[in-house]
Amino acid sequence: MPATTEYQGSFLGRISIRRNQVMNMDGNHDQELEDIELFQRHISDRFADLLSSSQQQQPSSSEEASTPAAAVDPFLSINWLRKLLDVFLCCEAEFKALLIMGRDPSQISKPPLDRLIPEMLDRAVKALDICNAVTNGIETVRHCQNLAEIAVTALEQKPFGDGQVNRAKKALSSLMMEMTGEDKEGGSYARTWSFGRRGSAAAASTKDRGHLHLRSHTWSVSNNWSAAKQIQAMTANLQAPRGNDASGLASPVFIMSTVVVFLTWTMVAAIPCQERNGLATHFPVPKQLVWAQSMIALHEKIGEEWKKKEKKGSVGLLDEMQRLEKSAHSLIEFADNFQFPAEEERVEEVAAQVAEVADTCRKMAEGLVPLQLQIREVFHRIVRSRTEILDVLESTGKVSAPIV
Amino acid sequence: MENEKTVPEKSASFSGKEEEITGVVIDAAAGVSESPKVVVDPKTDSPKVESKPNETESDKIKEEKTEDNVDETEENREIIKDQVEETPPPEIQYTLETASEEIDEFIAGLSAKKEKNHDENVVTLEIPDFVWKFLDLFEEKIAEHDHEGKVKWGQVPENDKSFSEALDRVSKLTQSLDEFKTDNPDQNHCVVINRIGGIHHRAMSYLGDEFRSMLEESKSTTNNQYHLDPKADVKGKQEAVPADQCPLPESESTEEPVDVFPGYTPEVISNLNKIAEDMISGGYEFECGESYMTARRYAFDESLNHLGFEKVSIDDVQKMHWEALEREISTWIKTFRQCATVYFPGERKLGEAVFSDHPHISASLFSNLTRGVMIQFLNFAEALAITKRSAEKLFKFLDMYEALRDSLPVLGELFPEECANELKTETTTAKSRLGETAISIFVDLENSIKSDTGKNTVPGGAVHPLTRYTMNYLKYVCEYKDTLEQVFKDHYKIERHDSTSRPRNYEGGEEQNYSGGGGNEDDGQSSFTTQLVRVMDLLDSNLESKSKLYRDISLSSIFMMNNGRYILQKIKGSSEIHDAMGNTWCRKKSSDLRNYHKNYQRETWSRLLGCLVLEGLMSNGKVMKPVLKERFKSFNAMFDEIHKTQTSWVVSDDQLQSELRVSISAVVTPAYRSFVGRFSQYLDPGRQTEKYIKYQPEDIETYIDELFDGKRKP
Repeated sequence: MPATTEYQGSFLGRISIRRNQVMNMDGNHDQELEDIELFQRHISDRFADLLSSSQQQQPSSSEEASTPAAAVDPFLSINWLRKLLDVFLCCEAEFKALLIMGRDPSQISKPPLDRLIPEMLDRAVKALDICNAVTNGIETVRHCQNLAEIAVTALEQKPFGDGQVNRAKKALSSLMMEMTGEDKEGGSYARTWSFGRRGSAAAASTKDRGHLHLRSHTWSVSNNWSAAKQIQAMTANLQAPRGNDASGLASPVFIMSTVVVFLTWTMVAAIPCQERNGLATHFPVPKQLVWAQSMIALHEKIGEEWKKKEKKGSVGLLDEMQRLEKSAHSLIEFADNFQFPAEEERVEEVAAQVAEVADTCRKMAEGLVPLQLQIREVFHRIVRSRTEILDVLESTGKVSAPIV
Repeated sequence: MENEKTVPEKSASFSGKEEEITGVVIDAAAGVSESPKVVVDPKTDSPKVESKPNETESDKIKEEKTEDNVDETEENREIIKDQVEETPPPEIQYTLETASEEIDEFIAGLSAKKEKNHDENVVTLEIPDFVWKFLDLFEEKIAEHDHEGKVKWGQVPENDKSFSEALDRVSKLTQSLDEFKTDNPDQNHCVVINRIGGIHHRAMSYLGDEFRSMLEESKSTTNNQYHLDPKADVKGKQEAVPADQCPLPESESTEEPVDVFPGYTPEVISNLNKIAEDMISGGYEFECGESYMTARRYAFDESLNHLGFEKVSIDDVQKMHWEALEREISTWIKTFRQCATVYFPGERKLGEAVFSDHPHISASLFSNLTRGVMIQFLNFAEALAITKRSAEKLFKFLDMYEALRDSLPVLGELFPEECANELKTETTTAKSRLGETAISIFVDLENSIKSDTGKNTVPGGAVHPLTRYTMNYLKYVCEYKDTLEQVFKDHYKIERHDSTSRPRNYEGGEEQNYSGGGGNEDDGQSSFTTQLVRVMDLLDSNLESKSKLYRDISLSSIFMMNNGRYILQKIKGSSEIHDAMGNTWCRKKSSDLRNYHKNYQRETWSRLLGCLVLEGLMSNGKVMKPVLKERFKSFNAMFDEIHKTQTSWVVSDDQLQSELRVSISAVVTPAYRSFVGRFSQYLDPGRQTEKYIKYQPEDIETYIDELFDGKRKP
């Protein structure tokens, strides 16, 4: 990231210097066009990087050939998501500089910005909830990680016998429950794990509060909140500027909104999240826009994955979770047919699988906290920028469209 | 006896083992020769003699058979396995206790052997019969416990104790046997290890279930705490568990109500602690942690629900009506404070008690559990801070600000360092947002005063709604004076700091006021006070321009008096504002009021009094009757007019009203009385007098007392 920060610093510097120089002259339109173009190019470059890093890995070899690809963060892995969040933070900083730095506030309160900016700010609010839902979802991921660790601990014992296999199986079955049962009950994770035979009694005792289905392992955003619906709402009024608007500030506003939508959508698809049923896979960005090429390609790629997994009640596309799911499947199968003593050959197979699970767990242990913190950083950044933009609008004394 | 039949077979297997142990002696270094004895010797003259006669009998038989079968060196493991699976072990021979003693000695023997053999490569080991028996007995015990939760942990302490001890032996046995792992694994050895592993897992699963249900069960206790109905609780318990079926419910022996979160009795906690210890030492730390986490997270959520706390998304917060939000905020404050002072510390204490020997576990569980709750609280604060600003929100925001502020020192104590730092930063951020928003709202008051430029006057010169609003608002504001001082001190700077990107209209003259505070007229005047004074001055100048809207200058004065009086009264009524504004300001305000009073007197009454002057009335020492008549006439007309107009004027402050009346009366009545007294004689008594002396001096007084009543005569 240091490279991008530098990059961004110089960008901000140039904008502010230039603004100061030309502010008093009337013909700064050309400068602005240049700034916008630069912004578009940066967006394009950053997402191209993301795209290429996710293409370096051959989709077919992703399962077994983990050693050569170790240097590259797999597509939709924790580290890949962190890169995406970095990209977002950079884009966001540049955007804000472009939109408000040293600008006469009246410029951004004119049509069509008087409509587009409040719309964008509304998206920002929805993005905040999504950040929180995803942060909550990471708790589920962590729970899965812990369950997988149990299996690893059990099966790393040598020799493992019925006890260890049963232990691993119990943990992995809970893991599978987590992974498949999630969306149906609006985030009721850990039912089997936490409530076992007493589940029904616990459920009955809370009927008075009317949120039977919300006994989640993780905290929820609020009752009836749905990530899918929020994404839908964020996308609904997202329209590429046309005609004269296309060359003005409406363009970066649209770009930034697109980035926000892309980021939140990707996070929702990747990380377990409250209510993802019917998560849209439509991305309303015209294909001819140059800056959007890589983003569109990424979106399609993720969208395809999502469509494949959605029906199964997937816990999300997060690479680590997918790996856990795959390993859990075959380990459970192994456990189901296990008879002591295990055949030498099978033991080796299992050992390899366990090692892989252990490796995934390690990645999760290393990556989840930073990911969570980074999402929080994005949260705070969105809040701050929203406030700053509102302040500028307010100083013109006429926010025509309602903010809420 | 039935089991007599099984005995020979059993002993057969036993003898085989004995043989192999002897083999050990041969294989291993000479010094080891005692070690099999350590195992075997106590067995033969085992202390079981005292327990059951038939055991000793069978032992004897065993010994005989042992000798008989000495040469059956090749003992089939299949037989052992079969025996374990098919023929029930002779329970009569061993109880869990007696077998346990054997096991202890066996383990001791193994470790002794290990000590001496640690550099030997090849050690074979035979598993004595009682190991199998012990495992059978223990498995039975688990099954008995685990059956549909019939035996609850904590109901029969001795039972739990022997369970724990047996489990401990299983763990130790596993360990000891693991140390004898060999390169060419003896299958018998593997079988026993597998068996032990299975039993161990079963025991652990049972403990895990008990741990979980024990944690969850307490929820009812926690709930009762909120329902405040301990009687119902006791009654319910008695109904549910008839006394004869429940031999010794530990939880009922302590009668004192559990009123401290999270509401577990010491017995329950001590049981939880025992189970946790067993699970952790048995290597089931993850299971234990996950169970704890899930159960507590759920219970914690329930507790929050009981306080009425509901999660609201940030998006919804932006759309909610203020009335609804206000309710949410009140609940939030209550819940948050409760968490900071009771729930979090209680949760932490619970964790520390349950995982008493594993502080790192309790710390990480506590952080994971409460971090999410904290962030959720903070999200609500963040959500509110970005709602559309409006004046009425200030107070609730400040309440929240205070709650967050007060929690900060607690957080440092509660959370392990890393988590505490994160949460402190998060809390500080949320607090700053609320603080900044509070400042903006307060500063908005300035703008709303400035923008109140309506051209309509208040009828009767009464107190302007703007004055009322502003003063009442400020009165509330000043109830938060200390907090606001702090807010301005901590966050005003921040506002100014990044002012490059946020041009604010209140930025202007703040510079000199803000720098140090010592440079002000009043020493130590805070930026909040400065802001407050500024608002008051703005209000004053706004009122002044509003007063100019009255065409009647007297009414202007009345208007200014009314408003000024109102302001002063409000300031007197609130020591906070008074302190903030200072005596000097109040004195100045009072003297302003006196000036308005004087203006009014002059404007209204000086002209009237002009009718009563002697000048121009006399000519050559003689009263000019027409002039006198004219004077009376115009006095009457003028007074009528004043009375008519000014009774409709409004002075709602009783004191001001009476002050005004008294001061008017004091000027007018005596002058009129003496005028009438002096000149009434010049008028013809009767009709003429009646016509010109319309009012008696007493009438004047009465009529003056009717002024400023706000009675508009149509």
